[in-house]
Amino acid sequence: MTTARDIDVSQLPAYDISNQSPLWWGQLMMCLIEGSMFCMLIAIYFYLRLSVDVWPPPGTVLPGITLPSLALIPLVASCAGSYWASEAAKKGDRRGMMLGLGLNLALAGVFLILRGLEWKSLNFTWASDAHGSIFWVLLFLHTYDILADLLMTAVLLVIVMTGRYGEKQRIGVHVDSVLWYFLVGIWIPLYAVLYWGPHILGAPR
Amino acid sequence: MNSAITTQAASADDVAERGQLDSVWKNNPGLVAWFSATTHQAIGKRYIVTAFVFLLLGGLEALLMRLQLASPENTFLGPSRYNQIFTMHGTTMMFLFAVPVMEGMGIYLVPLLLGTRNVAFPRLNAFGYWMYLAGGLFLYGAALTNTLPDAGWFAYPPLSGPEFSAGKGVDVWAQMITFTEISAMCVAVELVVTILRMRAPGMSLNRMPMFCWSMLVQSFMIIFAMPAVMITSTVLLLNDRTIGTHFVNPAEGGDPLMYQHLFWFFGHPEVYIIFLPALGMVSSILEAHSRRGVFGYPALVLSLVGNGFIAFGLWVHHMFATGLPQIGEAYFTAASMMIAITSGIQIFCWLAMLWTGRLQLTAALHFVFGFIFIFVMGGMTGVMLASIPLDLQAHDTYFVVAHFHYVLIGGALFPLFGGFHYWFPKFTGRLIGERLGKISFWILFIGFNATFFPMHAVGLQGMTRRIYTYGADMGWGTANLLSTIGAFVIAIGGLVFIVNVLRSLRQGTVADANPWDAGTLEWAADSPPASYNFTHLPVITGRYPLWTAKDSRGIVTGLRPDRREVLITSLMDAEPHHRSTLPGSSIWPLLTAAGLAIGLVGSVAAFSWYFVMTALGIIGFIGWFWPRPPLDVK
Repeated sequence: MTTARDIDVSQLPAYDISNQSPLWWGQLMMCLIEGSMFCMLIAIYFYLRLSVDVWPPPGTVLPGITLPSLALIPLVASCAGSYWASEAAKKGDRRGMMLGLGLNLALAGVFLILRGLEWKSLNFTWASDAHGSIFWVLLFLHTYDILADLLMTAVLLVIVMTGRYGEKQRIGVHVDSVLWYFLVGIWIPLYAVLYWGPHILGAPR
Repeated sequence: MNSAITTQAASADDVAERGQLDSVWKNNPGLVAWFSATTHQAIGKRYIVTAFVFLLLGGLEALLMRLQLASPENTFLGPSRYNQIFTMHGTTMMFLFAVPVMEGMGIYLVPLLLGTRNVAFPRLNAFGYWMYLAGGLFLYGAALTNTLPDAGWFAYPPLSGPEFSAGKGVDVWAQMITFTEISAMCVAVELVVTILRMRAPGMSLNRMPMFCWSMLVQSFMIIFAMPAVMITSTVLLLNDRTIGTHFVNPAEGGDPLMYQHLFWFFGHPEVYIIFLPALGMVSSILEAHSRRGVFGYPALVLSLVGNGFIAFGLWVHHMFATGLPQIGEAYFTAASMMIAITSGIQIFCWLAMLWTGRLQLTAALHFVFGFIFIFVMGGMTGVMLASIPLDLQAHDTYFVVAHFHYVLIGGALFPLFGGFHYWFPKFTGRLIGERLGKISFWILFIGFNATFFPMHAVGLQGMTRRIYTYGADMGWGTANLLSTIGAFVIAIGGLVFIVNVLRSLRQGTVADANPWDAGTLEWAADSPPASYNFTHLPVITGRYPLWTAKDSRGIVTGLRPDRREVLITSLMDAEPHHRSTLPGSSIWPLLTAAGLAIGLVGSVAAFSWYFVMTALGIIGFIGWFWPRPPLDVK
């Protein structure tokens, strides 16, 4: 029955924790969807800027450059935790996964405190004017995404700590890092638009 | 003698393996099990059946409109009811029928065409279906309480804004979009990954069936286009209406025109999202019916990909009448005319297949002929409308209505019906009645042209779309009456189609695995396919595995039959890379979708329901992903 064309795959690995895993590709597509969404929102930001003379409207208080720039440090650094966890997941190193996920969560927590301060210093809401609307939507959606991914990270940490995990959960730890890199990476253009944008192109036209 | 014994032994092994595979893959009986199903066949069929129910509802709405327009100064519906009905018709057809039915065909057929056992993310697949169903029930549930949107299927502000559309109808419309788009994006993600990483060994990209190419391009279009409509409908419109943002409020720096840009950045690709799978179906039907390989495979693939790209550069042609800068408009005219090149190449490839093939004149092929005729006519009016001077005259008239029904019904519905006839034996295990199939084709074809051809004329005479009536002195009465008669002829054609489907389900000739003698892999599986599709995954050496000599075909051995194991292959050449275990049945996709649906429905009343959605979503997703034994997959 067997012919020369037959392929025996029983010797192939039963799973793969790398960028060859289907879940990694699924996560990549998820990042593309979210990326398109944020691109669209950035387009809205500039479109709205075109239709008014002064941007943001007079009287608007933004948190300045210092605080948001400081917040970038723990955010970018948290990727190290993510990377550590994802490399440990590939090797099946439980301690490494716990430390990496923990570091990721801790640094992201510091970032969230700074994000909270940023948010508190705003003197406008989504209902103030068009600038307020897009500013709040960008900040809200990015924070919402960050919180969602951190929740996922926390659940993974619990799973790893209780030892209730197999290869599938290790793939989960690996692709969780992909989404985190994306959310950190997408914040850099968003940060530039929201905080540097008004300085560069906010003056009366 | 020896070989006979080994054959027998192997087939005994096969029977045992089939039994084992079936017990692992099949959907168990019982209600909870039914709601937990995650096989692509079950989910695909549910998509198709649900979408056809919405086609029926959308069709009934069309009949109501045609009754109203049958004679001048008719009072059958009245202006506000008419507004609601045309909004529901467009919304139903675009969001609840056309996209989901194509997704359903993709979900059902792609794994079979690729030679694998399921889609890459089976639970996500089920989740997407439940979201779609919830969205449809939401819109029609609201309709039952007389909460109907009435601002058209694209709901332009300021008409749809808080000032001019009181009530909750537009809010329901806006949030229904969220449901259907989440569903479409779930399908897009899983089909991209399935197509890129789960093809049978040897099925390099340049051997992939045309239908899979069309679904791949369509899925990428969904990934880039659908976020735009979610932002348009929820962030821009719904937030402006419910929490007082100012995105489309010019008094506070917003801009209603921005809504149009973002909507059509989705809306134009949307047309191709519907249309590309149909093109894939046409190629599939033609290669089987002309008994020859597809003509101009590279040209067809490049045209599909080209269509996908150009589709994102056309949106402004819906907005020529908004007074944009001329240089911008000129660009979009050029781009709009360019799409005729990629579409034309495909038409000529198909004509070449018809010319050189040995044709079997089945009902499916009739629908393909109907497609070519109607779609080419729609394409011609499309090129006309791409020209700004003509568009400014014909904008918002019945000429445009005629154009988009020619391209959408001709370009998508006829191929879909063709594909449905073609794959019916695979779906059901029985052949569809050919005679009734051909009769329904002719009734639909004549009815379609009787309905929509006169619209070109009344449109050029100045009848604008979306008016609930017109004066007797306009002289549009006869043409409109003809359209109304045509619409009822279409309804009769639809009825014949339904009768044919129901009859064939019971009395149709039992089909073997490959009744058309076609060349692609779905015809290697049983009709209907076993729950695991293939006893052994095939090894591919050409574009048409079933047309190659039997001894040059191979099989994959060594996949474990005692769990839902599939083979992951490399991106370009489909070389085996590793095995992967798919999840089994799960009730959590339904529960998660239900939780999110509760929050999204509530959000129409108050923003705080988004927090309910978040909380229920968290519970749902944690339940979904919580590790279940066996944890070890080695």
